Amino acid sequence: MKLRTDIVKMYKEIHGWVGIISGLCLFVAFYAGAITMFEHSLQRWASPASTLPAPVALERVPELVDKVIAADPRAAKAYTVHLQTGTEEPARVSWSIASDKRDEHAPQTTFYGALDAKGQLVVQSAGPSPVGGFIDQLHQQAGLMIGTEPGLLLMGVVSLLYAIALVSGVIVLLPSLVKDLFATRLGRNAKRMWLDLHNVLGLFSLPFHIIMALTAVVFAFHDPFYASQGATFSNAMERPARPAGKPPTPPGPPPAPVSPATVVASLAHELPGFTPKELRYGTAPNGTPSLQVRGEDPRYGNRGPNFTVAILDPATGTVTGPDYLGGQQDGWGALLTGFFTLHFGSFGGIAIRWAYFVMGLAGAFLFYTGNLLWVESRRKRERRQSGPVVQSRATRILGALTVGAPLGCVAGSAVTIAAAKPLAAVATLGLHSAIYHAVFFGFVAWALVRGSARAAIELLPGAALALLTIPLASLAFSARFETSVPALDAIAVVACGLLVLIWRATLTRVRQGPRDSVWSLEAATPQGPAPREETAQ
Amino acid sequence: MSPPELTSRNWLGKAAAGAILGYVLALGISGLCYWALGAAGQGLSTRAQFTMWLISPIWCLILSFCFLFRSGLRAWAVLSLCCAPVWLALYATGALS
Repeated sequence: MKLRTDIVKMYKEIHGWVGIISGLCLFVAFYAGAITMFEHSLQRWASPASTLPAPVALERVPELVDKVIAADPRAAKAYTVHLQTGTEEPARVSWSIASDKRDEHAPQTTFYGALDAKGQLVVQSAGPSPVGGFIDQLHQQAGLMIGTEPGLLLMGVVSLLYAIALVSGVIVLLPSLVKDLFATRLGRNAKRMWLDLHNVLGLFSLPFHIIMALTAVVFAFHDPFYASQGATFSNAMERPARPAGKPPTPPGPPPAPVSPATVVASLAHELPGFTPKELRYGTAPNGTPSLQVRGEDPRYGNRGPNFTVAILDPATGTVTGPDYLGGQQDGWGALLTGFFTLHFGSFGGIAIRWAYFVMGLAGAFLFYTGNLLWVESRRKRERRQSGPVVQSRATRILGALTVGAPLGCVAGSAVTIAAAKPLAAVATLGLHSAIYHAVFFGFVAWALVRGSARAAIELLPGAALALLTIPLASLAFSARFETSVPALDAIAVVACGLLVLIWRATLTRVRQGPRDSVWSLEAATPQGPAPREETAQ
Repeated sequence: MSPPELTSRNWLGKAAAGAILGYVLALGISGLCYWALGAAGQGLSTRAQFTMWLISPIWCLILSFCFLFRSGLRAWAVLSLCCAPVWLALYATGALS
């Protein structure tokens, strides 16, 4: 396809800059996002055996809930009844108390309630492992540690840059599409090879990336979007729909909520095919009780990452809100569920989970190759200008970050996942975050100090070893953990093997590659052919 | 006569127009859809949610293609001209009063 050369050149520059700004954040988001595909398995692997008494039968839940509310009246506002219990969900009833009532993103403490053999209430705050939640947070905020709200907004900006990078990347590729698409030239010319890989990966996963960019923009910005709609038109249009003068709350106390056993029975009758997993008894903003049921229905795409939602009448247990429920919702609701489920990969069962896992990792690799290309093309430009090769500070730093940040992310998430086993009951979200960031910043600092070439040789085995800590933790702490997930250990071993292969290829490249490369050891040593290098610092 | 060459040098003015006016335009179009679909109702209807989702693709497309304007000034001028009828129409629906 023919395009004006100035347009292609302009978009090539735009693609490079939006890519280099957003690439490393996107790497972290995609890598962590790929792991979240198996968050449930991760939770089973990471959660220690609970010391709570066995969950009571469904018929005894009202008794348990009454005792919970008597002991902690805050639980009356919102509590969850878990129909499926196990290592990753040890208690029949749990409730969460926010540390700051005004901030909906404030950290929460979750309590787990059970009845012992004598019918006495037992409450614990040690529950399933928080590592799954940490990986999820890493996925949403790329580990930026600037708070939830600013982190979301920043990732929203990154998602916008990602969208621009997709459009500009396609424009740049269009003129040479037919020539380049099926030609992956794995030869001496490293830049050509990375470019071919980047193009083929980018083009074939384009639909996946378009979905991710557009949905990520909404996930990051949906509060500001709704707020600006409300500030301009939606509130004004809604006013006449509310009947004026009617009291908002019915007189008298609301009727007692329907019991879990009744809900399960009526759902089996009303929604055959839908398997409820948890009943969330809560309070609507206007103070009236609410009941949300999360469950699974393999026939439809899920609204959530691993659940679909039914809204029930808390007094009778009949379905009143089918908006989010596959098969019951209207066309608009189904369309919205489509947006969510396409982002979460929560349709089509385990095959789609694996496909999304692979595509997530491929996406992370796409951003890594993009960064490499930026460094490679900067290198060439400088060679033309200045004769003897002295890599600019920007190229050196970005080269080092391109090595340090992705490897730091791989190693940091591996070590923090492995740490779930020794930490067991004392694990918190903050501890997992501290471990991840210590490893991550250690890798980044190492890469900045040692330069990209040496850091790559030294950090690749480091990241491979970090991945090995996962099966090692499985072996060392098998006595304290009831459940094992051999597939998770196997994936860590395979990933470790891949990093060793990459390490060997890097060793070859560093020794035999061109001397003016940022990947050359000679260029990085002071006695090499570039005497000004590093002494200037 | 061939059109003048485009360059990425004057990106700031074009990108700012795409980010700010692109958002204003996307919000306006979502408002017209909100009105046309009859999304208003008690609480947040699925139609209303759909109009919120519309903002993302429109904004992303404008941001991606705003670099095709010859200059930042033209980007601001043309996008303003696009916003005007959309917001006038939205005003005409009575939703802004």
